[in-house]
Amino acid sequence: MSRPLDPLGFEDEMCPVCKSRKYLNPDIVFVFNPECYHSMCLNCANRLFNDGPNQCPHAGCNKTLRRKGFRSAFFGDLAVEREVDIRRRVAAVFNQVEDDFETLQDYNNYLQMVEDLTFELVNGTDEKRRQAEAQLQAWEAEHKADIERNKKAGREADEMSRKRLAAERDAARQRRIEAMKEAEEEKRERVKNREMELDNLAKGITPATTEPSTKVQLKRRGGNRAGAATNEPLAQVSNLGADASEVERFRYRMHAGLSHPLMEKYRLDRQHVAGGYSFDDFAARALYEAFAGLGVFVEDEKEPGGGASVGGGGLSAGEVTTMAAGIAATGDVDKMDLD
Amino acid sequence: MASEDARYRETSQFEAWSFSPSQLAAMREKTNSLARQRITERILSSASNPLAPASNNTSHANTPDPSGNGTPNPNENGAPTLPDFLKPEEEALLISFYTSELLRAADHLGVPDEVRATATVFFRRFFLTNSIMTYPPQEMILVALFVGSKAEGRFPRVVEFQQRFNTKQDILAGEFLLAQGNRFNFEVRHPFRALMGAMMELRSYGDIDEQRIQAAEKRAHEILLSSPLMTDAYFHYTPSQIMFAALSLADRGLAERLIQETFHFVPPTTNSDSTPAATPLPGSDSLGTARKEGGGKGTMTNDERAAIIGTGIRDKVMGTIEACRNMLSSELPERKSHWTSESIFKSQIRPVRKKLLKCRDPDRWNLSELQRQRREQGLRREDSEERAAASNGNKDAAIFGGDLPAGAPEKKRRKVGGNGLEDPFGDPL
Repeated sequence: MSRPLDPLGFEDEMCPVCKSRKYLNPDIVFVFNPECYHSMCLNCANRLFNDGPNQCPHAGCNKTLRRKGFRSAFFGDLAVEREVDIRRRVAAVFNQVEDDFETLQDYNNYLQMVEDLTFELVNGTDEKRRQAEAQLQAWEAEHKADIERNKKAGREADEMSRKRLAAERDAARQRRIEAMKEAEEEKRERVKNREMELDNLAKGITPATTEPSTKVQLKRRGGNRAGAATNEPLAQVSNLGADASEVERFRYRMHAGLSHPLMEKYRLDRQHVAGGYSFDDFAARALYEAFAGLGVFVEDEKEPGGGASVGGGGLSAGEVTTMAAGIAATGDVDKMDLD
Repeated sequence: MASEDARYRETSQFEAWSFSPSQLAAMREKTNSLARQRITERILSSASNPLAPASNNTSHANTPDPSGNGTPNPNENGAPTLPDFLKPEEEALLISFYTSELLRAADHLGVPDEVRATATVFFRRFFLTNSIMTYPPQEMILVALFVGSKAEGRFPRVVEFQQRFNTKQDILAGEFLLAQGNRFNFEVRHPFRALMGAMMELRSYGDIDEQRIQAAEKRAHEILLSSPLMTDAYFHYTPSQIMFAALSLADRGLAERLIQETFHFVPPTTNSDSTPAATPLPGSDSLGTARKEGGGKGTMTNDERAAIIGTGIRDKVMGTIEACRNMLSSELPERKSHWTSESIFKSQIRPVRKKLLKCRDPDRWNLSELQRQRREQGLRREDSEERAAASNGNKDAAIFGGDLPAGAPEKKRRKVGGNGLEDPFGDPL
């Protein structure tokens, strides 16, 4: 199957019947008949074989072809196309699997036999090809029942895998839909909570705001997947944490209208605001520091009599001095890890 | 559940660094006497056996003392003359002087308020338990500034420091020493932010002239930047008390107003038996216990309220603030000129300094030399330990030189964790 060289690299096929080329007719479609694997353009095939079986127009080819047998090639090289066809046919007959053999040796011998036969069919001389063909048919006749059974088993396996794939695809789609629904619901709930918070703020109820937001947070973390039963204690835990970090205020109250000129400067500074800096936090800290320790009377509490009742916090002065002097005095490296 | 006071009681500033005046005086006395004793011992030992170094001053004999002039040279007869030691009052004077020097250095550097205050507090705390005769105050100033910057979250370069002060001093040599002298308590509570808080609160009353508030804040801030640092206020009072004292120095009316508004709670008369209980001893006892037992949140009994914001405690708070105010007023910012004036320096500081040069500790005076010695000693010890172990691991130690400092930290860690030696961190707080 030699072809004219194509110096430009274009696969410019030519119909051997009408000599038309792809270059001249871009819509040209080539077909061939598996009887002899000679290709021609679709127009020629239609024209020649419209009136029933006819001889192959290729010089020296005596095969009688029918219109029905023509098809377009899957592979560019018709030799490959032919080999694939043959292999398919052989595989349909020799469809035994490893389980059908007693030993691996047997199976390998079988595979070797099949491959040899296939090779004869594809590349052998006429003589060999005919022999192989005969062998194939003999085998087919001999093992008809086995072939049928294996075919059925293969079909069933195919069916199974197809079903499994379909089921998987279905489940994925279902999951996607559910996730979307959940996201939708979360969004709705957030909006609802937001409105509730705003309402509460308007009514002047502040402490109620913490709870809904934690719920949303839990949901986002997937905490709600386990169901409402586990959700409840989780919420409680997080509430406890919030309480512990909450500063108990006695001497002062956070209220609107706390301001300081230095703070005002930063309130307008875009660099500070962009980072989400909370001015209320600063105000709270400043106020805390202003009033923390006002009622701590060092003189009373640190004197040996008074100090004990405060929970034994401080070391006595003597202890500290002794220890420090000990450090200063000794030359031992054990006690001084200078580095 | 912790009131503001209870939370302050948990800070290291209260637990380890708050003292009554008598305690403070006793500590200074003790530091002074211990230093005398040690220095005497050391001078005697280095004089008696100059060729066979004792364990505590190993390389002193074969390295010429770099501090030079101050060391009393033992004469050949082996009878060194003991120097005249500083008295506690003289030490206190010098510490005040060097504190003012530290503040000047901070001004020179232009560091933020917190760094300035933290460095000063570090310096004063260090020389509370270490005598000024033992470690060099001039060098410790830079160390305190350096460590103070780091404690406040600024990380200057050592080289920059040296350049700014035009010195070649090894600042890092004293770093660990200072940290140890401070018992590794790096957080110092300052009154600066508290002042802002007080101003916010005052402003929110709405009936005070803005000009007045601003003037008071300016002045109070100025006072906070020097007076509490020059005095022992940080040892005796809480930051908020210091802040109120400074505010009261700036504008007494404003401070009193704020106190009045804060301690406004009058317990209802029906609960009459609780009121006298809180009033006579509002300080330590009833305060501490009442707060601890009152565990129920939200529902405070009138007793608890009275102990925290009641009118009964107000006078006590006022009294404390007044005492602090007196202390601060002894070192108003204007007194800076006192410490920098030439005449004062000549008449008061210089004689004491001369005395100090004569009586300082020969082994501890040079910080970098001290650090070098301690390193060497540590390595020697590890060396001998390794030899004693005689394990296979010694092979590469022999090849690469066993005393690589890279191996040292692990050994030290093991040592510290291992046996119950006297912990440099002190007893558990």
